[in-house]
Amino acid sequence: MGANGACGEVATQRVRPLLGTFVAIRIDACDGDPEASFAAAFARIEAVHRAMSFHDATSELARLNREAAASPMRVGADLWRVLCASLALARASDGGFDPTIAARLVHSGHLPRPDAPPPDLDATWRDIELLPHQSVHFHRPVWLDFGGIAKGHAVDRAVAVLRQHGVHSGVVNAGGDLRVFGAAQETVHVRDPRDPARSLPLLQVREGAVATSAGYFSTRHGRTALLDTRCHTTLGHGMSVSVCAPRALWADALTKVVLVDPDGARPLLQRLRAQAALIDSTGRVRTLS
Amino acid sequence: MRRDFHVQWLLPAATVLVAAPAMATTYFTVEQAQQKLLPGQALTPVAITLTPAQAKAVQKASGLRVREPKLQVWRAANGAWFYVDQVLGKHEMITYALALDASGAVAGLEILDYRETYGGEVRNPRWRAQFIGKKFGAPLKLDVDIVNLSGATISSAHVTEGVRRLLATHQLVVAGT
Repeated sequence: MGANGACGEVATQRVRPLLGTFVAIRIDACDGDPEASFAAAFARIEAVHRAMSFHDATSELARLNREAAASPMRVGADLWRVLCASLALARASDGGFDPTIAARLVHSGHLPRPDAPPPDLDATWRDIELLPHQSVHFHRPVWLDFGGIAKGHAVDRAVAVLRQHGVHSGVVNAGGDLRVFGAAQETVHVRDPRDPARSLPLLQVREGAVATSAGYFSTRHGRTALLDTRCHTTLGHGMSVSVCAPRALWADALTKVVLVDPDGARPLLQRLRAQAALIDSTGRVRTLS
Repeated sequence: MRRDFHVQWLLPAATVLVAAPAMATTYFTVEQAQQKLLPGQALTPVAITLTPAQAKAVQKASGLRVREPKLQVWRAANGAWFYVDQVLGKHEMITYALALDASGAVAGLEILDYRETYGGEVRNPRWRAQFIGKKFGAPLKLDVDIVNLSGATISSAHVTEGVRRLLATHQLVVAGT
């Protein structure tokens, strides 16, 4: 395959350290120059990352967290899309998913303290108001952090960019948020919650996304970074949840909803055409669909 | 033609899983990475092994331990440099290539491959059984792919640290050769 040649049907892949993980893109079939497609897709992911980094004080999200309690702030399309999706999900799950949990994660030591006015620890997603013209106002100081849902959105945008570049078929995987598009049906593996060095074949998916959340890589002082947003206890010891949905954004967000309340999540999974599997610490699998 | 979203679970509900070992994926060979990062440059390998004193100096400068004193480094005709290095991720060895321009600044980085480490599993008899018949050092051919691993939160911090160590090595040892 030449540097500027069309890729045809030759599978080729690239990986970059982005979004605090490794992002891998595989192109299976395309009309255009695969290197240009890779570059455009990685650039799109970087743009989402720049806008929505909780840690980077210059990100659009960091500015929102600093300023939106004082006066409404207008945000860009990426942040708006993720914010709308987060609040819709918070409402539908009755707070099972809550993008304002960052304050509690900072409190428990899972996130570094940002340079922003201290949040009201009692504030929830209900204190965020979406105004016309993509403007956002906080009724109380909150720290929004989209975490995985922003990663899912980045994966979805990368897939859109690849398609615009004439890529018919491929896979985008941002360390746990994976989307398959085009003709191929892909087998997806997950890490074994009992032993994260090993993996298990979990499902086959076509034209869809899979996200997995688990407590195994983020324990700190014996607690995982997965919080039950309603009673503020940590979740997910030795357990993993995988959600399959048409979009990576929804797949990632739904993993948190399922971890909090698997059976309560059923109607929402159905509404979003999603399915879930839980693997517990003994290796028992339970599917919800 | 665009097909619709389709999912098929591979595991019957309420079964207890038996795990399979993990995988390796090569994204670039060393030659492909050289071509990508330093296109058209003739590269000459440079044989350098850090002396204990040099390794200690690199350690002091970077704050990172030098695990492998023998460097994999090439010099380009235009004065650029090309390194291949390995770092340990959370569960996998990550091989990456780093190109430096003539001034020693990073010109590019590519991940060549990551590889699961099997160290912790060697004690598991079921895992060991599948190696029977294979000779020592034989690469394991597995038909699974890191791209399809959901939930692989691999810390890119380790690669960042590796780059830091290589830059210290370059500055203190290699650039002066």
